[in-house]
Amino acid sequence: MTTSTDIAIVGWAHTPLVRHTDQSETQMLLHAITDAITPLGLTRADIDFTCLGSCDYITGQAFSFVSNLDAIGAWPPKRDSHVEMDGAWALYEAWLRLQEGDIEIAVVTGSGRSSTGDPALIYPMEMDPYFLAPLGADPLTFAALQARAVIDAGIATERSMAETAVRARGKGDVDELLGEEYLRTPLRRHDVPPITDGAAAMVIATGDRARQLVERPAYITGMDHRTECHNPSFRALDDSPSVRIAADALGLRNTPVEIAELQTAFTHEELLLRHVLDLGDDVAVNPSGGPLRANPIMASGLCRIGYAADHIFGGGTRALAHSTSGPCLQQNLLCLVEGRS
Amino acid sequence: MARLVESTITFPYRRSLGPVVGAFMTALTEMRILGTRSGDAVLVPPMEWDPRTGAELGNDLVEVGPSGTVESWTWVPNPSAQHPLAQPFAFAFIRLDGATTPLLHAVDAGSPNAMSVGARVAPRWRGERVGAITDIVCFVLGESAEIEGTDAGPASEPVTRMDYEASITYRNPVPVSADRVIEASQEHRLLGQKCPVCERVYAGGRGYCPIDAVELGEGHEVDLSDVGTITNFSIVTPVQYPGQTETEPFVRAFVLLDGSDVILSYQPVIELPATDVRVGQRVVAVWASPAEDSDEGGAMGGTYGRLIGWMPNGEPDIDDPDLVNRIF
Repeated sequence: MTTSTDIAIVGWAHTPLVRHTDQSETQMLLHAITDAITPLGLTRADIDFTCLGSCDYITGQAFSFVSNLDAIGAWPPKRDSHVEMDGAWALYEAWLRLQEGDIEIAVVTGSGRSSTGDPALIYPMEMDPYFLAPLGADPLTFAALQARAVIDAGIATERSMAETAVRARGKGDVDELLGEEYLRTPLRRHDVPPITDGAAAMVIATGDRARQLVERPAYITGMDHRTECHNPSFRALDDSPSVRIAADALGLRNTPVEIAELQTAFTHEELLLRHVLDLGDDVAVNPSGGPLRANPIMASGLCRIGYAADHIFGGGTRALAHSTSGPCLQQNLLCLVEGRS
Repeated sequence: MARLVESTITFPYRRSLGPVVGAFMTALTEMRILGTRSGDAVLVPPMEWDPRTGAELGNDLVEVGPSGTVESWTWVPNPSAQHPLAQPFAFAFIRLDGATTPLLHAVDAGSPNAMSVGARVAPRWRGERVGAITDIVCFVLGESAEIEGTDAGPASEPVTRMDYEASITYRNPVPVSADRVIEASQEHRLLGQKCPVCERVYAGGRGYCPIDAVELGEGHEVDLSDVGTITNFSIVTPVQYPGQTETEPFVRAFVLLDGSDVILSYQPVIELPATDVRVGQRVVAVWASPAEDSDEGGAMGGTYGRLIGWMPNGEPDIDDPDLVNRIF
């Protein structure tokens, strides 16, 4: 979907992305929101709409998003919404909401403390409840099966996956990494993301207001998300039809981007999406290091969009950001941001 | 590093199965595996709708397997508590004979060296089958199906529901300000925090003002009265769900503390029959003595430490019609 209304990212912030924080999700959001709005000269009273992305299963508390509202200063009562999704989907909702034209500024967030529980036990609950969850089918297993499919299709090798890990993390030796034991064949530890606690907040505004707030807004010129079947049994795991459709909807083929920030938590996912999106060698993929470097669940996708916006703030022309949810890249969101002279 | 509090949450789900999954589960108790036709394809596991087009399928079920071929696999060297096998095993996509799509299941192969794409596998059935995907313990290498334990036979009636239970342990840090509230409760003190901006007072040591979004710490602490007035209440008739320990109707009351605007929510009322609780009733805090085993229990999981509830203090009721509106 593309829009005729100018809506732009004007700022964002994230907490330190760490293996474990003593802060609650609400406290993390408190800091992330303050850090995102303060440099823009905004206060919480200036925000017309908020949409928060988080996941009760990860927090281990029903209605955990209610206490997260404490971070937005919701008095007097505010327009607010929540998605049980990565903050990237919260951005999608806020982007739609601003297109109604009656309000000007929205804040979206993504937050999660993955360190609280064991992802291998939490994630199966989000799988097919009849055939997969009772087997404890965990994200590592599905990632491994997809990695095998991607390797068999000739899109990746264990070596190119290790090279991806080294580039993303800026450290390590490929030959040494390839000598390590498998975590789940064909995945080794370097192929999988770290467990990360963190939160991110982003401010978006309609055209004129955005131009008042910053010199160079990062205009959202297209956003599209698509989903595939919930059970990986029925999907071609060496392809990503949902990404293809979203990319076509954004006209990506005729719209060169300088960088792409992809929410590819596993090395083979980056290689697969690079292939599916047909990104040339001139496109820098995940210059931030991507989720392989820091993977704050429920904020990881929003961070991708934030880093794409940073590219525009820094003088870039066009950047692509991607977020995903579900096993084996089941749902995919693409967001195109542009700068204007 | 903050103190971590560990809590284990059990998620007990009971799901209805519908015509297709129900038939599949019923067939499992008969040691048969069903797929569903979609054009020329046979989908396993069976679906009510075509996964590609969303079109409703004709509920045209067909038996497949029980043997099949490994299409892809990954080795699980350290099984989790939720996995089907305690020893290292393979998760595999298994294309059952006659099926077009692969089923995910475990293969008890002993070693990754025994696994290969193209390997033939057959199910190891559970002796006692209830109509769940776990009626297949796992698959084994070869063409011969096995039964683990004594065969208790098929279900006597069609399977229409299934139970699924996950148990997850969470470790959450306790904010320092919350620990200070618990500490103060040892001395039978109720600690609050006052926002320097709006001057609102909060109980429970949340550590920030939700209105002004500023952090509150030790310097913002104030002592609160442990005498108050019931503003509203509810009598809860317990439903016996897993984990429910109450058996008799009980009260949860909202208490407005004297000399402040602070309301404590969902407070137990002690030494008073539920039917005698009134709006406007004057109450005083009841603290667990150090000798009592309080395990930081107290009201609602220990927010206020040794505070275990409220009881009448003998003063006459307050007659204020607006009181009932004060729940926050």
